[in-house]
Amino acid sequence: MTPLIKIKNLAVELQQKVILSQVNLSLAKGEILGLVGPSGCGKTTLLNTLAGFIDQNAGTITINTDAKAINISVDNMLPAEQRNIGMIFQDYALFPHLSVSDNIRFGLKKLAKTVQEKRCQELLNLLELADFAHRYPHQLSGGQQQRVAIARALAPQPSLLLLDEPFSNIDARLRHELMLEIRQLLKRLNMTAIFVTHNKDEVFTFADKIAVMDSGKVLQVGTPAEVCQQPNSWQVADFLQLGSWLPVALLSNGPAPSITSLLGNLEQQLINVGNVSLLDDSRHLQVLVQANAMSLSPTTSNNVIVEHISVTEQGYHYLLRSIIQDSPLAFRQLSFNSRELFALGTELAIKITAEHLLLYQAANETRNAE
Amino acid sequence: MLLASLNASNELFSHLWATVLPEYITNTLLLALLVALLTLCFGVPAAALVSQTNLVMAKQLRWLLMLPLAMPAYLVAYLYTDLFDYAGPVQRSLRAWFGWQSPDDYYFFDIRTIGGAAIVIALVLFPYVYMLTRTAFEQQDRNLLRASRLLGCDQRQSFYQIALPLARPAIAVSLTLVVMETLADFATVQYFAVNTLTTAVYDTWLGYSDLAAANALASVLLLFILFVVVAEQRARAGQRHQSSRPNNQQQRKQLSIMQQLTASLFCWFLVLAGFLLPLVLLLIMVVDYADYSQFIALLSTGKNSIEIAFYSATIATIIALFLALFQRLHQSRSRKIPLQITSFGYAVPGTVLAMAMLATFGPIDHLINDLAKALDLKAPGLLLSGTVFAIVFAFVVRFSAIANGTINAGIGQIPKSLDFAPASLGVAMVPAIFRVHLPLLKSSILVAWLLVFVEAMKELPAVLLLRPFNFETLSTQVFQLISDERLEQGALGAVLIVLFGLLPIILLNRQKDSQ
Amino acid sequence: MFNRIGFYTLLLLALFATSMNVAATEEVNVYSYRQPFLVQPLFDKFTEQTGIKVQVVFAKKGMAERLAREGEYSPADILLTTDISRLIELHDMGLLQPASSPELSEAIPAQFKASDNTWYGLTTRVRNIYSAKRLGKIDFNYEDLADEKWRGKVCTRSGKHPYNVALVAAMIAEHGEAKTLTWLQQLKANLARKPQGSDRAQVQAIHQQLCDVSLGNSYYFGNMLKDAKQKVWADAVYINFPNQNNRGAHVNISGMAMAKYAPNKANALALMNFLVSEPAQHMYAETNMEYPVRPGVQPSKLVASWGEFKADDLPLEALAAHRKSALKLLDKAKFDL
Repeated sequence: MTPLIKIKNLAVELQQKVILSQVNLSLAKGEILGLVGPSGCGKTTLLNTLAGFIDQNAGTITINTDAKAINISVDNMLPAEQRNIGMIFQDYALFPHLSVSDNIRFGLKKLAKTVQEKRCQELLNLLELADFAHRYPHQLSGGQQQRVAIARALAPQPSLLLLDEPFSNIDARLRHELMLEIRQLLKRLNMTAIFVTHNKDEVFTFADKIAVMDSGKVLQVGTPAEVCQQPNSWQVADFLQLGSWLPVALLSNGPAPSITSLLGNLEQQLINVGNVSLLDDSRHLQVLVQANAMSLSPTTSNNVIVEHISVTEQGYHYLLRSIIQDSPLAFRQLSFNSRELFALGTELAIKITAEHLLLYQAANETRNAE
Repeated sequence: MLLASLNASNELFSHLWATVLPEYITNTLLLALLVALLTLCFGVPAAALVSQTNLVMAKQLRWLLMLPLAMPAYLVAYLYTDLFDYAGPVQRSLRAWFGWQSPDDYYFFDIRTIGGAAIVIALVLFPYVYMLTRTAFEQQDRNLLRASRLLGCDQRQSFYQIALPLARPAIAVSLTLVVMETLADFATVQYFAVNTLTTAVYDTWLGYSDLAAANALASVLLLFILFVVVAEQRARAGQRHQSSRPNNQQQRKQLSIMQQLTASLFCWFLVLAGFLLPLVLLLIMVVDYADYSQFIALLSTGKNSIEIAFYSATIATIIALFLALFQRLHQSRSRKIPLQITSFGYAVPGTVLAMAMLATFGPIDHLINDLAKALDLKAPGLLLSGTVFAIVFAFVVRFSAIANGTINAGIGQIPKSLDFAPASLGVAMVPAIFRVHLPLLKSSILVAWLLVFVEAMKELPAVLLLRPFNFETLSTQVFQLISDERLEQGALGAVLIVLFGLLPIILLNRQKDSQ
Repeated sequence: MFNRIGFYTLLLLALFATSMNVAATEEVNVYSYRQPFLVQPLFDKFTEQTGIKVQVVFAKKGMAERLAREGEYSPADILLTTDISRLIELHDMGLLQPASSPELSEAIPAQFKASDNTWYGLTTRVRNIYSAKRLGKIDFNYEDLADEKWRGKVCTRSGKHPYNVALVAAMIAEHGEAKTLTWLQQLKANLARKPQGSDRAQVQAIHQQLCDVSLGNSYYFGNMLKDAKQKVWADAVYINFPNQNNRGAHVNISGMAMAKYAPNKANALALMNFLVSEPAQHMYAETNMEYPVRPGVQPSKLVASWGEFKADDLPLEALAAHRKSALKLLDKAKFDL
């Protein structure tokens, strides 16, 4: 099956600065892709480039609809209005001088009046906006405005829907419910969508596929489960906060290298996801440790001190620091969950219970475990 | 004034009504309408071309198109009526060239008509429309235009369906300014031999010596203006939109060569006709007639001009700041009233305003002197109405609207949260204003100050009537010479007024660039 | 921040204070409808002779209202006007006081002063008819301008201008309202263009052959002859003194009056006496290209070269009585529209 959208070697420069380089992505019809990454990573630029607001400097974008294939390259820039792409803006960008129904009808000008009316009515009903058809955007609540934005974007039946931080303006309590609702809607319409967010919870709830970006590059693409279980780089794991970082040192190299940390020597199987070169540069090695993959060790001597306590549904969540602080392997923020309550400053003995550990080289030497 | 008008003699009114008044009113409305239409046709396309297309030299034209603001309308009116008159150099050369003998031999437009007046006034006033509309275009949320593109509109359609409707409030505000200036401007229409309601006001007052009837007519004029103001506010009432992302990065429309040519011609025509040509005419006069002794005399009149402009600008700005902050920080229903009242002064013809000043301060002065007499002190004389005070006060009243508009726009850009943040940091409201609002408003304050300063340099009728002994300003001097058809000798003064008028435009431009 | 603002406020107040200098030397204050440069040389001379300082404020519109508002505290001593209507207006508003001296009564003929001595003429100016030289010398009556042979050939400034209003008032005095209205309507029909511009602009239009005849005050002819650029205009026309075979040419005055509450009455009278003295009369007429009111004083050589003429001997007070009717007739004829 041909993908609905295929992005090949896309590159964008703005004011002589490389914003995007070597971006490759493809998406099947009906799939929802979440673009995540720290701010400034280029995810919004990618969205704007797809929409046609920014010209690419290299690479191609191919959109295959039922009718035809649209091929956008440096030699063949298609203006935004001819790409058949819909977009929902972060602030919705509703036309303030038009009523709700006029906003929705805005993209339907080329159709017959009766068709316009019919489709507008359908969308009003679908998004439960029928009562507000004649109101103006400033008379609506944030959630209602977002529904209008969705209805307006869907009205011309785009082949691809782009969403720029769609839930950032929504009340936290309503956000989850709304995400599920919109996801169901998109699925029902078999709509292909790409959305941008910096919130990892959103991406896990909303997306079929996620792409993690950093510094203009796509680091990893996959289903949320794939990415969660095997983040392919330190940045991906760090951004998605999949665990906390434990600094380690290499004891012996070879096919089965062994490592040590301030929690003692680690016997677990090491998975070198990021293909860290263990030969010539073994500095700043860290393993990813999940908060649940540790336990108290009555047999060893104390190695950590409780720095911070917070309460969770499952008990307590601690941030621990190593007792030894003048070592290169010292850490300050190791996450640990326990049902037992310890006072601040308590010294504990901790061991790692995971079966295998993911080994990475830290991207930034000053950054310690989070 | 309204009270005074009630005493207006009915007899004079019915005479005026039976003879000339209907035509005056028609002329007034026609002139206002034409000027509004023309400024629209000049200002909006210019704003669109400069802000939305890849017009050649758009960066220079951006500020060049504002230059006509520096030209006092009465000056341009004089220069153009002189230039295009039958006896003027243009028609003379045409006649000499083609060997025509009399007006019957050829057609040439008559500059001294409502149409001619409208064109010339529009050439001077269109920058209001241009400036406000351009700003509106530039500050439009670019996502709105992007949304429109994604919904199938090309650049052109997006402009007509989104950008233009969204700029409507700005266009309406600027048109209101233009119409107010047009209605209030007597000196200018006079050169065009166009009789408007303002003419009637002066006729009844000076000719029939009937101040009451003149006041009544002036009230009619004010009603027109009131109507314009209310209509404008109504039009804006339904629209509320604050932009979050200025639109400076949007893609500009690529013009074809023919479009490029037409657009350039259009923009350069405006700059040329509204500013460069009049300036060149003035400079020629300066070169032909100027001598050193004149220059010395100009220094003292120039000093007077600068002085009163300085006081007026400073006071108007302070008052505007006070009112704007009051409105912002005092959340009651009545808070809008003072602002609306002060903005009205702009629409009052200068001479009418001067009369009002005399009517207000005369009695106060009498009171002061009576008091002094009662206390056996030497009478201090006319402290208020007989000094620069009255002029400055009149200017402040007249130009408050400008200062208010600018400062309000500035204050609108300060996030509401900043009103509350200082209190949360333990800083009281007044120090907070000095430490937060005023520094943030610095550029608006400067702009407001400069705009009032320049208007005060140009303003004429109020000074003419209110000034104390031996007090000349650049504009009164220029005007006297103009009214004696000897502008040549005042050309240097006129050039100085224009140069001062350029200051804020340059500064405004600098500021925009550095942002 | 506070300090800075405080500083500027003080600075502002200080500047204000300095600009309100209330001096109290020997002085006389003049409110003038006349442009200062026309009268300044005379005042300089007066100060030189008497040591009395002359202060002037010039304005055309609203002077009477300003005076009225100032009332008894007005600093004004003397009022100088360019037209009889202004003097009458000031008189009717009760803003003048009688002033008399042997010098004044000796110098000014009764025709050119108020019967109650509240105002005096200083110079006279004739409302002339200018005609294109190309037509040769013509004897005009004002009445002739309504003649059909001038259809499309007459130029004039606005009918509402005080000079024209006074002329129309003189016509009413002579012919009555009904006839004058007809005259106005026919005159309007003869206009080459809508009334516009100044008296000089009409002469320029004759020079440019837009029209053949125009109305204009006498002194403009002299001023144009003295101006390098305008001399060619003046050279294209004859200056004609109308109605020489009947009532004489219409004359208006520039005049002076003493303000009712003049604070420097003695100085004011001294200035008035000075202004009607022979040297001052000569000088005033010389600078303004007008005719001195004082009999026996010669106008400037240039003005004298235009020849002797007969002036209408209608007393100006009688003329002023018809002013409002004149305005109404102008409205009725829609002269300016």
